Amino acid sequence: MIEFFAFPFFQRALAAGFIVAVVCGALSFFVVLRRLAFVGSGVSHGAFGGVALAALVGAPPGLGALVAALAVALATAKASDDGELTEDTAVGVFTVAAMAIGVVAISFLETNVDLFGLMFGNILTVDPKDLLALGAASLLVLTLLTLYFRPLLLASIDEDGAFAAGVNVTRMRLLVLVLLALTVVVALKVVGILLVSALLVLPGAVARSLTSRWPGFLLGSIGASLAMVLGGLLLSVALDVPSGAAIILTGTLCFLGSVAAGRLRRRA
Amino acid sequence: MSVAVRFEDVTVSFNGRTAVSAASFTIPAGKRTAMVGPNGGGKTTLARVLLGLLTPDRGRVTFLDDAGRELPRPRIGYLPQRSTLSPQAPVTGLDLVGLALAPGPGFGMSRAVEAEARRALSRAGLADELATRPVGRLSGGQRQRVLLARAIAGTPALLLLDEPDTALDAEGMKTLRRLAAEEVAAGRTIVYVTHDSDAMGGADAVFRIDGRVVEETRS
Repeated sequence: MIEFFAFPFFQRALAAGFIVAVVCGALSFFVVLRRLAFVGSGVSHGAFGGVALAALVGAPPGLGALVAALAVALATAKASDDGELTEDTAVGVFTVAAMAIGVVAISFLETNVDLFGLMFGNILTVDPKDLLALGAASLLVLTLLTLYFRPLLLASIDEDGAFAAGVNVTRMRLLVLVLLALTVVVALKVVGILLVSALLVLPGAVARSLTSRWPGFLLGSIGASLAMVLGGLLLSVALDVPSGAAIILTGTLCFLGSVAAGRLRRRA
Repeated sequence: MSVAVRFEDVTVSFNGRTAVSAASFTIPAGKRTAMVGPNGGGKTTLARVLLGLLTPDRGRVTFLDDAGRELPRPRIGYLPQRSTLSPQAPVTGLDLVGLALAPGPGFGMSRAVEAEARRALSRAGLADELATRPVGRLSGGQRQRVLLARAIAGTPALLLLDEPDTALDAEGMKTLRRLAAEEVAAGRTIVYVTHDSDAMGGADAVFRIDGRVVEETRS
């Protein structure tokens, strides 16, 4: 397996995996804290409609995914802020609408769309241009997370307390959803639409089982994400299985291990 | 500087039902004011309007300085009746008070903020070793002291206490009465929502709220 490290495609895959793992791990902290697992799943599925529409009009798929993911995220935020729908109902409605638009768009396409790649991703096909876009989008997400970490954390654990302290909690909710949409697009190429939501939940869930303080939770989430993505990638090469599925299965094993470790720690 | 609060013609409705109708009154600066009234009478609604958590359908709330000039909304120390703080929140009392003191953009806590947070926790009666324990591992009473520390931290011009006698245990209420006396002596305005105006050891002004301000008593 060592010889794989000499191949440029594998080096790019490792670099892409590292970037995606850090971004998803950092955001997973807030996804688990704010119980946004379903919203994350909805936003990633909503991106499918955007990719299909982009293919229909000849636009870059990444742009289509970004526009659709942002549209689902913003529509969800608006509907739940207005009090018309709860967040999970809103995301349920907008997600299926975006997916239906995607299916209709695909039916008009004369060429075949790589649906398997779209659904499960393929990190081994990341090219230098993808890597550059990945790096730029990830830098944006990580910069915003670092800049707004304190108000985001306070608004995530105690909304009324945050408001009383002067935090614009509506803006913070919106920021998390926008970051979620950006991260979904970042991770799409690596793990695909179906599995990106797992990458947004599993790292945070692993870290949450092991620690009760935010610094350990945040670092643990990034560490678990790195272990999942890089471990899964090596596993996919060693066993010759799809990379996305290998990453998520590695994450699931990490999660089960962390739950067992957490129980042992509490008993001790 | 002490801050007074003026409610002008404040009306709030929920789903077509009027909770508070045309409430107009002024909370005096640097005093203890109680808002009393029956359940559903609208006193908590007015407290949430004061805090800015609710926008009235009609009317407005203004903050005034000693000379009666309008001020921007000051920082308000708030002790909720039922906190939205998640018991599983991955923070310590020190983290929470520090975050509330410096909630602006950034990462981590400065030494000055940490020192002020520790001072507030100590004033609220939380032992130093408990200040660095995750809130999920504190008892209900200890968690209430963390929330009390958050309310008084950073010397806010106005302290709003929503039914403190149900939020705090007997020992916590004793601490709160002592703190309230210290804060009023320092010129801070204290407003509390309660069923019992004597809960805080007496009030300088009492507004009875039942859908509107039905009675005003000043001592």
